[in-house]
Amino acid sequence: MKIKLKFLTLTFISLFFSKLVFAETAPGFNSWDDVVKAADGGQVNVYMWGGSDAINGFVDDFYGVPLKEKYNITLNRVPLKGTVDAVNQVLSEKEAGVTGDNGNIDLIWINGENFWTLKQANLLYGPFAAGLPNSEFVAWDNPAVNLDFGRPVEGMESPWSSAQFHFMYDSARNNYDDMPRSYAELSNWIAENPGRFTYIRPGKGGFVGTRFVKQIFFELSGGHAQWVGPFNQELYDKWAPEVWKLLNSWEKDLWRGGETYPKDNAEMHSLFANGEVDLDFTQSPRGAGPTNTAGTTPPTSRAFAFYENMIGDFNYWAIPYNAPNKAAALVYANLVLEPELQAAQVQPANGFCCGWGISTAKVTDAAGKAAIAEAQNNLGDAAEDQDILAKALVSDIAAEYQDLIEADWEANVLLK
Amino acid sequence: MGGERLKIILSLTPPLLIIFTLFFGGIFYGFLQSLGYQPAIGKYEINFSAYYNVMFSERYAKLFWTGLGLNLWVSFASTFLAAVFALFGALAIRKTFFAKTICNFIYSLNLPMPHLVVAVGIIFVFSQSGLLARLASQIGLIGSPGDFPVLVKDKYGLGIILAYIWKEAAFFFIILMSVLQSLGENFEELAQSLGANRWQRFRYVILPLVMPNLFSASIIVFAFSFGAYEVPALLGVIYPQMLPVMAFEFFLNPDLNARSEGMALSIIIAIIVMILVVFYFWLTQAKIRKD
Repeated sequence: MKIKLKFLTLTFISLFFSKLVFAETAPGFNSWDDVVKAADGGQVNVYMWGGSDAINGFVDDFYGVPLKEKYNITLNRVPLKGTVDAVNQVLSEKEAGVTGDNGNIDLIWINGENFWTLKQANLLYGPFAAGLPNSEFVAWDNPAVNLDFGRPVEGMESPWSSAQFHFMYDSARNNYDDMPRSYAELSNWIAENPGRFTYIRPGKGGFVGTRFVKQIFFELSGGHAQWVGPFNQELYDKWAPEVWKLLNSWEKDLWRGGETYPKDNAEMHSLFANGEVDLDFTQSPRGAGPTNTAGTTPPTSRAFAFYENMIGDFNYWAIPYNAPNKAAALVYANLVLEPELQAAQVQPANGFCCGWGISTAKVTDAAGKAAIAEAQNNLGDAAEDQDILAKALVSDIAAEYQDLIEADWEANVLLK
Repeated sequence: MGGERLKIILSLTPPLLIIFTLFFGGIFYGFLQSLGYQPAIGKYEINFSAYYNVMFSERYAKLFWTGLGLNLWVSFASTFLAAVFALFGALAIRKTFFAKTICNFIYSLNLPMPHLVVAVGIIFVFSQSGLLARLASQIGLIGSPGDFPVLVKDKYGLGIILAYIWKEAAFFFIILMSVLQSLGENFEELAQSLGANRWQRFRYVILPLVMPNLFSASIIVFAFSFGAYEVPALLGVIYPQMLPVMAFEFFLNPDLNARSEGMALSIIIAIIVMILVVFYFWLTQAKIRKD
């Protein structure tokens, strides 16, 4: 009896200390070695948007192979029509009482609204992000990383890559030098080219359009800095009427006279590809490269950015609360942050869409630095000058603005 | 006797179970969610605020009522026109024998086509960057493809109506052909020998005979087009917006509270369809009894 008690006390003490020592390790594991050991021989079920063969191929080749060879983990990539499908599946599993390790999804490629849905409903495993060894390369002090669409990440997802809003034009129809470089210039451009511009309706499924409108707030109000930080109703009320006024003044010169607007990227790309409008939006640091390769924009498409106020953000990997193989999911989330693999995802030839998920300045070993330098000099001619993009980069703002802008745009521009 | 009864009960149980669990279970669960009951996010209260929000709040009222108007217009117009086209098609080719099989085949070709494919086809052909617009500008009918009239993604739902006519006419056609085939020509010959002209034969002989089938097919088509999502999603504008599309937007909302509104809207759609179907049914039954 006494021995048993002693043993129990010891266990508690050691548990207490292990908790302290490994405070950063993901819940349920004592150390990273523990994670790798538990992941050995398992399968990782990766649920991600599957609409691009190039991205699918990249994941299979660059992650599937090292997962198998180094960690003995089998990659099972499950393509989705939209990330919201995975979100709904987790939600249904929760409603059906599927808990523990009995779910189906190990990882979801996610950001923004879908992440918020899962976090709001407590459907995520974590916090795990800071416990990944490669987390040291992530710029966690950057609000663009630690806030996702203005909402705190709090270690419940780990970054994969980055994107930044800017524009595309078709070099067969227009010249780079004639492109507008601010919203003021865009206003003139629209007046001079009636019917040749439209933007994605701000709303659910069309966050790129919301972002396009957000940036107008920054320009009209004289800068992005005052919008950083907590939601400010007064500031919003001061500038919103100006923004609606500007958007309404465009209306008669927009595509279809502003009677309707495209509701997502796909519709916008098809209007652009069909020659109905002359400008399109992109989120890729490689500009028109990924869509040109995919054939959704004409091969002669190129990118350009405004000189200021281009919102950038990150996308992440999240693990559902009932993931069947959490250890393998952690290994995967860590693997994608390897500097050399990060460099590979930026190289145009590898077909991936987006930019760095890590802060390249934090990489110190020679091989990683070399790979990064090579990738940075090799972005292809469909990309905008990286200096222009970097100078224009601003972070997204508090999440409250998102819903407000969408509702008010509908009331003041669409329905007015 | 007892054995007979057991047999009936046993053979009816599986389908009834499926109907009850899947259909009524689903409706019940949806109804609960529309009342704000969402255990997944810790909401157990029951109220009608989602219904109020959708129909009367400043934010959604205008979208809802214009959407309802568009829904009624699209469903009535497409059901009526598809039925008319199919009726005349069926009447025209039921007698001609030489190209009958081919005509039959062409007319019913649309039937197995998914609505999604038809909608995309409509975009390819009728949009401002579509086949017809390019052709018309090529031969100089219009200055540029952009001058082509707006038939797809238009305020009045013309593209949606076009897609439904294209698709549902085939369905009406198959049903009408089978009725006309089984009727034979005796009635008409009789009427003709009694001196009825072409119009009278159509109005007083054919129409009353096919009417019951035409009506029940209309109910199916109407209910379908009222609640279907994919065609208006592809061919509609964002305002006015048909109700199923609006309902789906609520489900896309990352704020899980919005699901109650989405469910409320779905239940409203279901109730409207049910009321219209009952009314329609009552009307046709009364008419048939009278005849």
